[in-house]
Amino acid sequence: MNVWEHITTFFSVENYTLFVVSIGSGILCLAAGVVGTFTYLRKRALIGDVISHSVLPGVAIAFILTGVKNPVYFLLGAIISGLISIWIVDYVQTKSKLKPDSILALTLSVFFGIGVVLLTKVQHSGNAAQSGLDSFLFGKAASMSMLDVQLFSAIAIINVICIALFLRSFSIISFDENYAKGLGFNVRLIKGFLALLTVVTVAIGVQAVGVVLMAALLITPASGARFLTNSIRRMLIYSGIFGFASGIIGVFISYSGTGMPTGPWIVIVLSAFTLSAILLGKQRGVFARMKVRQNNHVKINNENVLKDIYKLADKGLKTITTKELIDKEKHQPKKLKSTLARLEKLDYVDLVRGMVILSDKGRIAAREVIRKHRLWEIYLSKYFQLDADHLHDDAEGIEHIITPEIEKYLIKLLERPETDPHQSEIPY
Amino acid sequence: MSANTIIEAHNLTVLYGRKPALWNVDFTLPEKEVIGIMGPNGSGKSTLLKSIMGVVQPTSGFTKVYDQELDTVRDRVSYVPQRQDIDWDFPASVWDVVSMGRFQKRGLFKKLTTEDKDIISESLEKANMLGFAKRQISQLSGGQQQRVFLARAIAQQGDLFLMDEPFAGVDIATEEMIVSLLKEMKDEGKTLVIVHHDLHTAQSYFDHLVLLNTRLVACGPTKDVFTDKFLTDTYGGKLTTIAKISQELENKEFPIRHK
Repeated sequence: MNVWEHITTFFSVENYTLFVVSIGSGILCLAAGVVGTFTYLRKRALIGDVISHSVLPGVAIAFILTGVKNPVYFLLGAIISGLISIWIVDYVQTKSKLKPDSILALTLSVFFGIGVVLLTKVQHSGNAAQSGLDSFLFGKAASMSMLDVQLFSAIAIINVICIALFLRSFSIISFDENYAKGLGFNVRLIKGFLALLTVVTVAIGVQAVGVVLMAALLITPASGARFLTNSIRRMLIYSGIFGFASGIIGVFISYSGTGMPTGPWIVIVLSAFTLSAILLGKQRGVFARMKVRQNNHVKINNENVLKDIYKLADKGLKTITTKELIDKEKHQPKKLKSTLARLEKLDYVDLVRGMVILSDKGRIAAREVIRKHRLWEIYLSKYFQLDADHLHDDAEGIEHIITPEIEKYLIKLLERPETDPHQSEIPY
Repeated sequence: MSANTIIEAHNLTVLYGRKPALWNVDFTLPEKEVIGIMGPNGSGKSTLLKSIMGVVQPTSGFTKVYDQELDTVRDRVSYVPQRQDIDWDFPASVWDVVSMGRFQKRGLFKKLTTEDKDIISESLEKANMLGFAKRQISQLSGGQQQRVFLARAIAQQGDLFLMDEPFAGVDIATEEMIVSLLKEMKDEGKTLVIVHHDLHTAQSYFDHLVLLNTRLVACGPTKDVFTDKFLTDTYGGKLTTIAKISQELENKEFPIRHK
C-alpha cells in the first residue's frame, strides 16, 4: 500500500472508527496544548507529571468501588485524586521548608506508588472486567471506544471554551499574581479553576497516551509555540494546532504499521513540531539567531575594512592597493577579497585594477566607525580611569555596536570632544 | 485619627511561618504627600505594602485605607509591585501590560472601551513609553520596565499609589523622569507611598517617612524623623536583638500569637 492509499483508507467511511479516534485524539491533544500553555507560562512544567501520575490511584479506587469499567467513573476518580495531589503540593509548599522540586518528586512517587499497588491488587482480584486497566500506564488511544471518544471530546471542547472565556484571568495571574490580588481579583478561585481544567485535561489525556507521556502533551506544544510568537493569544492557537495535528498524525502513523503504539507516536510527532519551531522561529529560533550573528559578522568585516582604507588614505596615500591592506593592516587575502567585493556592490568602494577607491558613501561610513571608536575611547578614559594603552582593544569591539542613539548620547555626555585620548581628531 | 489620614496600620503583625516580617506596626499616614518607607533589607517594607494591598494576610492587627476596609475603596488604590518579582520574558507587549490597569474597572470579562484605550495611551505618554507600546516586554531595559509598571498604575486612575522600590535598578534618566512624574502626581492631589532604600535621596524625595525594621522605628514628617538617632535605630546594630529573637522564634518554633 502506498501512502496515498493509506490516507484514503484512513479517511474512508468504512474506517469510521479510526477516523473518530484520530479526531478524538486530536481534540484531546489540542485541549492539553492550550491548558498546558498556562502550565508552561507559570513555570510549573513538572506539575503536569505530578498530576498524570497521581490520577492512577483515583482510577484504581473508582474500579474497586464500582466494579465496572466505565469511563465516567474513571474520569471522576482521576480528577479527584489529581486535585488532591495539587492541593498537597501547594499545602506542603506553604507549610514546610522543603524545596518545590522535592515536593513535586515526592508527591509524584507516592501517588504513583499507591496507584501501582492498587492496580496490581485489582488485577489479582479475579474480576474479569479488570483486563485492560493497565492501559492507563501507557495509553490506549487506538482501542478507544466510541463512547470514550465522544465523552473526551466533549470535555476537551468545554475546556477550550473555558480558556477562551477566562483568558484575561489566566493571563494576569500567570504574569503578575500579586498585582491581580491588588486589583481585588479572587486569585485563589482563578488558580483553582485553572488547576481544575488542568486536572480534567490530564485525566482524559492519560487514557489516550498514558501516565508517562501525558506531561509531554501539556508542555511540549507550548514550549514550541513560545519560539514562534510573542503574543499569548497566538501562543495558545499555535499550541492548539500543534496538539491537534500531532494527535491526528500520530494516530495515522500508528495505524499504518502493525503493532505501532499510538501515544508514543503522538508525542514523537509533537516533539518534531516543537523541534522545528525551536529551529525555525522567526525571532527566537536557532536559525534566526544564527542569521543575526552572521549579519553581525559581515557588518564587522565591512566596517573594519572601510576603516582601514580610510586610515591609509588619511595618512596621505593617494592610491591604496589590496596588497597594502594585506601587508600593512594584516587582512587575510581571501576574506578581504570577498569583503571588498561586497563593499563594491554596496557602492562603498570602487575596485579598479587592484586599487581600492573609497566612494563618498564609503567615506561617510568609515568616518562614522572611527568616530564611534574614538568616542568610546574617550568615554572609557573619562569614566573608568583606564590608561591610554588599554583603550584601543575595547573600542575595536564596541565601535560596531554603538547605535545612533547611543552615539548621540555619548557626544552630549562628553560635550562634543575634538580629540581622543591619543590626540587623534574626532571626525564629525 | 485625624481628618486627613489616608492609611492606618493598627498593631499589624505578619508572620511568614513563625518568623515575623512585621511586628506590632502601628501608624497613620497623611494624604496628598509623598511618603517614603525605608529600612534595611528584610525589614518588612514590601510586606507592609503587600498587607495594605491585601496581597498578604496579617496574622493579627489590620490596615485601613480612607478609614475603610480596603475592598470598599480598592478602586482608588494603585499598586506597583516590585519589578524584579516578575518574569519579563512573558509573551506580552507594553500595551498588554498597561491595559491590565483597566481590568479593575472592566472586570475579567468585559472588553476594553475606547475610553479605556485613551486612558492607556495617556498613561503611557505620562510615563514616556508611548513610543514603546508595541514593544515586547522582554526587550525593555530595567528603567523602561519600571515605567511600564508606573503607566499601568496610572491607568488605574487611583488617588493613592503604593510603589514597591520603583527606583531599584533604574538608570539616572529614568529616576529623574520618575521623580518629576511623582511631583506632578502630588500636585494633582495624589498620595504616593514609596518603598525606597537610598538614604541619600530620601530627604529630597519624601515629605513623610516611615522607618521600619520589622518593628516600627519612627513615622512622621521627614524633618523630624530623618535624624541620626532614628537612622541608627533603623540601620544600626541596636535592633539586631529583634533579628536574634526572630531567629529563635523560627528555629525553636515558638509562637508569638496565640489563637
